[in-house]
Formats: sequence, structure tokens, C-alpha cells
Amino acid sequence: MRVKSGPIGIASVAALALMLAPLIASAQAPQKAPTVINPPPTAQDWADIAKLPDWSGVWNPKISDQDAQIKTNPPPWNEAAAKKIAKMFVEEKAGRPFLVFSNCLPEALPSWMLVTHNAMEILFTPGRVTMLGDGNRIRRIYTDGRGHPETSDPTFHGHSIGHWEGDTLVIDTTDIVPEAPLAVSEAAGLPNNGDMHVIERIHLADKDILHDDLEIIAPNILTKPWKTTRIFFRQRARKFDIVEGVCATGDLVERVNADGDHVFVPVQKSEWGHTTAVPAK
Amino acid sequence: MRYLIKSIGAFAVLAMMAGGISQVAAHHSASMFDFTKSQTLKGKVVEMRWVNPHVTITITGSTNPDEAPGDWLIETTSPGNLVRAGGWRRDALKPGDEIEVTFHPEREAGKKSGLLQEVKLVSTGEVFTANIRDQEKPGLE
Repeated sequence: MRVKSGPIGIASVAALALMLAPLIASAQAPQKAPTVINPPPTAQDWADIAKLPDWSGVWNPKISDQDAQIKTNPPPWNEAAAKKIAKMFVEEKAGRPFLVFSNCLPEALPSWMLVTHNAMEILFTPGRVTMLGDGNRIRRIYTDGRGHPETSDPTFHGHSIGHWEGDTLVIDTTDIVPEAPLAVSEAAGLPNNGDMHVIERIHLADKDILHDDLEIIAPNILTKPWKTTRIFFRQRARKFDIVEGVCATGDLVERVNADGDHVFVPVQKSEWGHTTAVPAK
Repeated sequence: MRYLIKSIGAFAVLAMMAGGISQVAAHHSASMFDFTKSQTLKGKVVEMRWVNPHVTITITGSTNPDEAPGDWLIETTSPGNLVRAGGWRRDALKPGDEIEVTFHPEREAGKKSGLLQEVKLVSTGEVFTANIRDQEKPGLE
């Protein structure tokens, strides 16, 4: 539309715009998305759960294999990341370990799977697989056929959708916070810096051995996708049941104050994370 | 200590001090301890903090008979790992228990702290270990 440059022309355009404004506004107003209901599971849904492989019990990470893979299968770090990681190894060797998991934040995905020293359990319910880790870690994996959300809402464990290929659970995870570290140990790991994508294939490799075959795509710190497997072994003894574990209590000690109330009081920690002093009772 | 935690305000001051002088931590590497050295400490349990992710034990004792007893702080892994790897229980060590502790000392000389290797209860001879990789051994169930 050509606009006359004089005051009358401008006034005409302004009047036209005012008349059209409600129409334009209504055309641009976002359509309210229909509410999607998670349907209640049917008896058949529960019966189908029984056909899945038996992943009950407590799964413990094979830490010795995590250790070995630091050397045998390191991530393909890009040049900048490799320099930072090399420095972290030097610092750790010198007794000044970097705190990859500071402030008791979750190890997040995929580092929980990669470097955890703690057990987990895996629950199947219709449309969901839930992983519960010692230390109050949690992963929700939707197996109800949904896709990833159109609007990203990044979290520590990302948005996980899964499906079964035979007895293998295939999980696709996106929307992980950029601060979540890709770690090879508690003292060596870097923020993924965004756009990380994790594909996992979890399956029984033996009666009591679970493998998580991971493919980690982290374009801002890796030169190519990194494939690695993490091994978990099953324990069924009740004495090994997972109990509550709250990371933040590591920074605190129980005391009774002058009013007779049970309270938590901070202990003193070093910059490397170990406890250096506990207040006397 | 008691007067310091008398009020909620004092608790906030303590929290600020803790935040100001040290990092609030989590799972961490143990490389601040010297794995090439091992020492033995004899003494009495003051307190065991049965907490994630790292249990600590405060002990009044000494590493040799000529040394006056002092307060030592020995750190180890998480309760879950101690249960799995070393047969621990929350009440494995009680205040007043006489113990012998083998530990890796801190690299920094003069610090009365270390990383637990194993602890023996003098009264029963029961030994609790703390190597998290021990839980991969067969036949623990």
C-alpha cells in the first residue's frame, strides 16, 4: 500500500488501522489448545505391563566399568572442551578436585546414568516408566505415544519419551538444561551448553545385568555423538532396599536447640566439597 | 554452640557463614586425601552423621600413644553404599564406642581428618569396610 506523505494521508491510514485493529487482533489471537487428558488405565493396560521384561529389584551401577571407560572410551570432546577436561584431571591429581556436582543439584541426564555411584529402581505403570535413584533422583519416561513438547521447558532430566522394541526400552530425551554437566567422573565434566539430545536403549544383557546403551549428542562440546554403555547389576536382598537419601543433609547436622526443637545446623565444608568441621553438640 | 543456635536469627547467621566461607557441596572426588598413605587412629566415637552423600564420623583419639587425644573427622561414602559394600547399619557406630580406624590422611599436613578405609569395633572385633567397588563382589546378598 502506498501512503501519501501529507498529514491527511497519514490520518487516513491511522483511521483505517484503528478500524481493522480488532479484526487483526482476533486473527492473531492464539487458539486455545484443546486439553489433552491422560486416560485412566484399563485392565488390559495393566495386563500388558505383565508382558514386559522383569526389571524389578535394585539396580547397582558397575563403578569399576565406569572407571575403566574414562580411559577406554572417553567422550569425543571438542578442542575447547578437551582442554578444560585435561585441566580438571590435573587439578584432581593434585588434590584440588573440581566440584562437577556442586550445591546438591541433580547429576541430571545423562550424567546420572554415566557416573552415579548409587543404586536405582525402575517402575512400570501404563504409559510410563519411572526411574527412582538412591539420593531422591527421579526420571519420568512417557511410553504413551506422545511426542516431545512444541515449546521447550528445559529440566535437569529433560523430556523423555520411550517405546519398546521387543524387550528393549528405547528412550529419546531432549530439553535438558544447558547447565547440566556431561561428566566422566565427580571431578571431570562440563556443562552441555544446550541442544543436547540423548538416545538410550536399555535392555537385560543377562538375567541380572542391565545395559544402558547411550548415544549422547552434545554439539556444543563434542565433535560427534558419543556412544557408551553403562552396566547395572541386580540385587534383591531386602537389606539392600533403597531408602530415602537427601543430598542437602550432607551439609547439615542434627542438633537440638535451646528451645528443645530438633533443627539442622550447617557443617563446614571445603571448596572441594568435603566436610572440615562439625559443630559440637 | 548452644547460645548460637538459640534463635532462628542465629541459625541464619550460621547459614550465611557456611555459605560465605565454604562451598555447599555434593558428591565429590576424594582426591584431597592421600591414597599413598594409610594411618591408624584409636579412640572413641563422638558422633556418626549418617547422611547422604558422605557419612562423617567424629572421633576423639590419637594416631600414636605419645599424642594427646584430639577430635578427628573421618569421611566416607553414602549410607546406601556403606550398607551394600561394608555391611554397615545406621547404629554400627554409637557414641562412646571404642574403635580403631584405618584411613587415608588429608594431603595437607596437620589436618585431623581423613578418608575411611575400615573401622574395627574394639568390643566385638567387628570390622566395617568402605570401598564402594566392593559391592560388585559376588555373594553379598
